[in-house]
Amino acid sequence: MPRPNDRAVSVILDCEAVQALMSETHPKHQDALATIVSVASRRPGQRRPPRVIVPVAVRVESGWDRTQPGSALVSVISHAGDWPLTQTRADEATRLRLSTGVSVVDATVGQAAHESDKPVAIVTSDVGDMRRLADHIDGTVRVARI
Amino acid sequence: MKKAKPQDLFDLLAAFDQPSESTVTSSRLPTVLHDAVRVAVALGMDTTANDATNQALRERVEAFALHLALEEHFREHPDTRPSLAQVALAAARLDGDPLGEDPELVAQAADEIIERWPDATPDDVLIYASALARHGKKRRAHTSAA
Repeated sequence: MPRPNDRAVSVILDCEAVQALMSETHPKHQDALATIVSVASRRPGQRRPPRVIVPVAVRVESGWDRTQPGSALVSVISHAGDWPLTQTRADEATRLRLSTGVSVVDATVGQAAHESDKPVAIVTSDVGDMRRLADHIDGTVRVARI
Repeated sequence: MKKAKPQDLFDLLAAFDQPSESTVTSSRLPTVLHDAVRVAVALGMDTTANDATNQALRERVEAFALHLALEEHFREHPDTRPSLAQVALAAARLDGDPLGEDPELVAQAADEIIERWPDATPDDVLIYASALARHGKKRRAHTSAA
């Protein structure tokens, strides 16, 4: 079992994770909720629960409009707000995309992982692309499959 | 004051990162806590005691709101509540625990531990699953947590 210092302190959601959280009928809804329940439970050795991050490109691609009914749960889950794509972040995402060949949205996930406190866990169904991204980022970046 | 509703809290939470006026308030702190905050700030915990108080209160409100949002969701959609095994598996995957790749063993551990300790936590399940793996007690029947 990992030592408390190895516990993820940043959790980044990709498109399917967000879509799974938004819809009770999504086949992975319960698995995505299990991740959030785990995040919400303060565990031994943790000073604070992990920060949940959703890059804005993920939000757009997954169809999450904060003003629409049904978005309340996922909005509270990512209470830290949006992870905006600034010029510097766009440059980093571009470099990641060019070096790994992942999609634009996945590159913004990688950029968020690059900038976040480590260890980072990327919650995704696209394990292959995310592992490829993780290999290009310094620090502990895990790929947590849902 | 009108009766507070969860949505009132969620709406305020969404505005946490927006520019906001500040309100001067007073609160009674035990002297020893007040002194401890002052010393901790001097040692680098936060920029000021005011920042430390704001941060601590914010984290507490965010954590409470997340639990509230999850419970509201589970009340409306009881069949979406993840099992103990699912939460333990998610925790293992976030933390890079090799048990995250063995959903059958995690499910077995959850089944067995909950019979003895109904209040078992996801961490209890993972410790129990580690012990099962170490002692070669994995059952052959196929059960899946994922």
